[in-house]
Order: sequence, then C-alpha cells, then structure tokens
Amino acid sequence: MRLSLERVSKSYWRGPHETAVLKDISLSVYTGECVAVWGQRGSGKTTLLKVAAGLEAPESGAVNFNGQDLCGMSRVALVRLLREEIGWARRKGPESDELEMLDYVALPLLKRQTLRRARRRSAAALARVGVADCSKGRWADLTDGERTLVSIAHAMVRQPSLLVVDDPTANLDVLQREEVMGLLRSTAEQDWLAVLITVPDMPSMVHAHRIGSLSDGRLLVPSGATPERDNVVEFPKHGRAAQG
Amino acid sequence: MSAKNAVLGLVIERPGYGYDLARRLEQRFGSSAFAPTGVYSALDQLSSEALVRSAGKQGEGGNERAAPRTIYEATPKGIDRFEQWMLGCSSLAPVRDELYMKIALSKPHNLGRLIELARVQEEDCLARLQELKRPFSRARGGPRAWPEVAVLLVRDAEIKQLQARVEWLQKARTIMDKLSAQASGTQGGDGVA
Repeated sequence: MRLSLERVSKSYWRGPHETAVLKDISLSVYTGECVAVWGQRGSGKTTLLKVAAGLEAPESGAVNFNGQDLCGMSRVALVRLLREEIGWARRKGPESDELEMLDYVALPLLKRQTLRRARRRSAAALARVGVADCSKGRWADLTDGERTLVSIAHAMVRQPSLLVVDDPTANLDVLQREEVMGLLRSTAEQDWLAVLITVPDMPSMVHAHRIGSLSDGRLLVPSGATPERDNVVEFPKHGRAAQG
Repeated sequence: MSAKNAVLGLVIERPGYGYDLARRLEQRFGSSAFAPTGVYSALDQLSSEALVRSAGKQGEGGNERAAPRTIYEATPKGIDRFEQWMLGCSSLAPVRDELYMKIALSKPHNLGRLIELARVQEEDCLARLQELKRPFSRARGGPRAWPEVAVLLVRDAEIKQLQARVEWLQKARTIMDKLSAQASGTQGGDGVA
C-alpha cells in the first residue's frame, strides 16, 4: 500500500485574499511506516491530512492511494474508500455522552456486522491500543491520553490500510506522549498500516520512521529520509492479525 | 566562534581603529558574543593575512598626550575573502551563531543566499532530530525508572532547542523571501520540497 501526494497545491480564500496553504507538496507513506509532519500553528498540517485522506481535493497535483487517483474518483467510490480503507482518528468523541466506549468504537462496524460481533472487534481494538479498561467508561470520564487512544481504536476498528491522526499528542505530558507515539509506530509495524500524523511539537516526532517540516505551505524533508522501498515486500491486507 | 569575519565585515562597512571596532562589534552582536580582546587579535590575524591594512593614524600631529591610533581598512583580498565567507555554508554547530552574523552584516544582494543557508540549516536541524530518535519499548501504564524519564526529559530539551531554532529559521526565511521577491519584483521562493 502506498499513499502518495505529487506536487499538491491548495489555497483558501479569506475575503478577497487568496492564501496558499499547500505549495507543490510531494509526500509518500508506505505500509508499515509512520510518517510525522511537524508544523507551527496555521502551517497547513490539517489541510495536508484532509487532502491526503481524500476529504478535500487539491487545486493541482495528484493524490494516489493504492494505485487509485483520489482526485478523479467518483464521490460514491471515494466515500466507500474512506469508509473501508482510511481511518481518521477524531478526538471529538461520540455525539452522545451516555455511550460507552465499547459501543462508540463499535459504531463504524454496525452497518455491516451484528452488534455482538462489532463489540467483540471493538474490545479487541481497545485492547490493542492499551485501553481495554476504558470499554465501560464514558468519554467525559476519560483522561486526554485515554481519549486519544480510544480515538485511535475507533479509527482502527475497521482495519484500514491508512491511519490518519491529526495532532495525537495534544494536551499530553511527556510520558503519555511517548506511549501514544510508540503505539502509532508499533501499529504501523505490527498491524501493517501506513500511518500519517501531524504533530505540533518536534519531540513527538522521534518515534516516527520519517519526518517532515511544514512551513509557509512547503514541506521540508531532511535529506536521506526518503525510504528505499523497492526491496520491501508488501504483504496482503488479510495477512494482518484478524480481529473478531 | 572567531571574531575575525565579524571584524572584517565591520571594517568593510567602514574603516576604524581597534577600540571603535570593539564598540561597534558590541553594538551589533551584544556584549557576550566575543571576548573583549577578540577584536585586537582578529585585527592582528587579518593584517598578517593582508586582508586589512593601515589607512593612516588618528591623532597624529593633534593631541600629543594621546597615542596615535591605527585606522584599518579592508584590502581587495579582504573584500573577496568576506564575500567567500558570506557565500559559504554555515554549519549548525559549533558555530551556530554564524548565520546570525551573516544576516546582520548582509546586503540586499545576499538575500538569496541567506534564504538558501536558512533552508539548509533547517534541514540540518531535522537531520539532527532524526539522529535523536530512540526506540520505544514500553508497555502502557507500567512504572518508569527515573533514569529513563531523565533521558526523555533531556532529549526533549535538546529537541525543543532544535524546534526553537527551526521556528526562527522558518520565520526568518519567510521574511527574507518576501523582501527578496519585492526587491526582484518577481515571485520569491526557494523551491523547498
């Protein structure tokens, strides 16, 4: 699996002024690796993730996911791709305050699976990220670190090929941050996912396989950080550990 | 970091004598940037390399109680050497303040090169961050020994310094990009990708 952005540009209009948020950005994320992009506030990190996940279309350039051009895809096909292949970890939590985390994480599965089976997979996902003890808890009762991990479980429960996480270390202390970032790295390696994250501070990047810096709409990748993937054998998706 | 290039730059800007140059050096870079005697040893080195020369003495035939002061000016060789230094790469360490000095002494026509140097140094910071990566091998919720936490905190401090450096480099680069674009009347940019 490979996500690739080729010379992507994106602008927003603020009143009469056009602001270029992404300028000619190229980036690839491969299965089994975690790529972290750091940038200052307002540098365009979230926009980069939205474009990478197909939620927003770039004005120019191409976004390719597993050989499919996201920009030229029909809306129906794109929605299906977003539902089945791309997991976006949102830190907003459930709409209902009464929902237990076991059911919240199971929600994405309910359209196609029975409640019992969905809950079983939800429990496995919560255990995978290390918050099995939160399954009976409510969102309001969770710490910031637990909310981040539950959000990741919610995004991973459908076993996507690409996991996208915007700012997973917000409000976390050093030790919580280490756990979350270590989890994301191990998720990429052990669950055989491509993981793309943005972070607001550089210490959060140390566990990523590759890093980049977004500034003034441009992505700076340190030389020598481009992976040589030609020799990497990519296993099929079903090779990952089955859950449920 | 030697004061040699800074003194040479100041002499090129305007000839001066030792004390005058020391005062200007302090005004430009702060009192702690160079040792007080650094200007005189720098002038000795620059003279021996024929990068500066005497342009006469101040006080000759005037005040008899004051010793005449040698006024230094740059030689053509000195100007060439300074231009070479301005164009050269600025390594992040141990001469991490060299880029500041180049910016302080630069002229508008140096902007393009300074933008490139800032970009290179930003890349150096990211490369150094990659070197600071350490594997994670802890289970969630387990107790942490202090030495492990201490290493984390020190690593955080190192990385935060890099982050502060990169943030400044990015802001400086953005401003220099804008000024460079205004000066050339065309779209600026360094083509970072």
